Amino acid sequence: MKRPIGTRTEINLDNDIAISVKNLHKSFKLPTEQAFGLKQAFFNRLRGIKGYKEQKVLKNLNFEIKKGEFIGIVGRNGSGKSTLLKILAGIYYPEKGEVTINGNLVPFIELGVGFNPELTGRENVYLNGALLGFSNEEMNSMYDDIWDFAELGDFQDQKLKNYSSGMQVRLAFSIAIRARGDILLLDEVLAVGDAAFQQKCNNYFARLKDKKQTVILVTHAMENVRKFCDRAILIENGKITLDGAPEEVATAYLKLWQ
Amino acid sequence: MSIPRVLNRKNRILLSELTKTDFKLRYQGSVLGYLWALLRPLMMFAILYIVFAKLLKIGSDIPHYPVYLLCGTTMWSFFTECTQQGIQAIVVRGDLLRKISFPKYIVVVSATLTAVINMLINISVVIIFALINGVTPSWSWLLIVPAILELYLLSLGISFLLGSINVKYRDITSIWDVVIQALFYAVPIIYPISMVATTSVTAAKIILLNPISQAVQDIRFNLITNETITTWNFLNHPIYALIPIILTIGLLIFGALVFRRKSKFFAEEV
Repeated sequence: MKRPIGTRTEINLDNDIAISVKNLHKSFKLPTEQAFGLKQAFFNRLRGIKGYKEQKVLKNLNFEIKKGEFIGIVGRNGSGKSTLLKILAGIYYPEKGEVTINGNLVPFIELGVGFNPELTGRENVYLNGALLGFSNEEMNSMYDDIWDFAELGDFQDQKLKNYSSGMQVRLAFSIAIRARGDILLLDEVLAVGDAAFQQKCNNYFARLKDKKQTVILVTHAMENVRKFCDRAILIENGKITLDGAPEEVATAYLKLWQ
Repeated sequence: MSIPRVLNRKNRILLSELTKTDFKLRYQGSVLGYLWALLRPLMMFAILYIVFAKLLKIGSDIPHYPVYLLCGTTMWSFFTECTQQGIQAIVVRGDLLRKISFPKYIVVVSATLTAVINMLINISVVIIFALINGVTPSWSWLLIVPAILELYLLSLGISFLLGSINVKYRDITSIWDVVIQALFYAVPIIYPISMVATTSVTAAKIILLNPISQAVQDIRFNLITNETITTWNFLNHPIYALIPIILTIGLLIFGALVFRRKSKFFAEEV
């Protein structure tokens, strides 16, 4: 197995850079035939087949994000946005290049991570909170606010499997917005919910922007890019093709399909 | 991985919350709930007791044989549960690994801690049975703690090593199930080691070099009867008696190193 030679470092410096990415590369090994088994691995080795092909997902990315910036990352499905986010979050390892995170970063790759249908709403709140780094005492003090915000009435002691999907999302979102970090990573978390819920999301973003919170938002909704972002980055085929004003990037994004 | 980072606040919260959840979910939807943690090993004991002690008349030369047997099956269940859950942990929690960034060993440790909780409940039952059976309490009971710890560290080492291979090659789970079946007869759980010794002293010695045998016999020696044959009193040289301990520590270190090296890719491969 090839060891990654890229680095991801977390620092805490008093300068105005929140994230710096230099010469970032990432590729995945995709199994060409079913390689999930010792037998297949053995035969592949005998036949001299590698059993996978290399898929380059990110090719030499370079950018910097300043503290207090609200950045949008846009691109087609499969362009490498989520992979980039996962590398920033420390879930994937960079294959080549340097990623530097200055400050405490809280990622939301998905709402309601770890939610379990067999647990009650209350139990899920505590579990999800623990995954976000909150202690039991902190959750105790926030619990009522979280529950009220989600507007789920007397469902707290019902198992999550008895919630509608919309209710689950509302609960997950109410916990998520409690997270405090220097940098927030959000992956399409707003693409769900009814009109009233969308309004809540919008208010939340507006508040983040007012507070000068550093946010990286991966989205397909150009109206959000125009409304909230200070800057946007367009990724195509694993490369940054445009890094600039939100309006300019949103227009370029929509032109991809023309 | 330095010690302060391993034990920092966030990791501790995560570990305890995941363990609690695992334990809660294990018996969800069953009428008797947590009682199953007790009933399962007791039933296994009942079967083994009827077959081996009553029908085959094994172990009549050992004082308090029923408790002796229960103690063995309890520790054996602990070892199997610990390794089976531990090896599967990364795959079972794959969803979490792909969504948040945290030290991966937490998932393995939390899965094995559920087995530890079960074992603690069951060992209390063994102690109650021992008292009913007329075993006199003694300070030597405290000496079972290092032996249990050794068995746990061995399970953890196996879980780290095989668990990290299992991410890519799921065959490991099935292979381990078979290995467990074979191991059950290679350690003196249901049969007294004296039975082996009458046929072949060498075979008995080899069996006692297995860390599982050593730990189980030590626990029986200190908890139930000091007529128990242990690695320490059977292998005439103390150096040999260190072999199981060295094996355990060696396996734990090797397993942890392999796990640390491979864990970088778990999120991509799981």
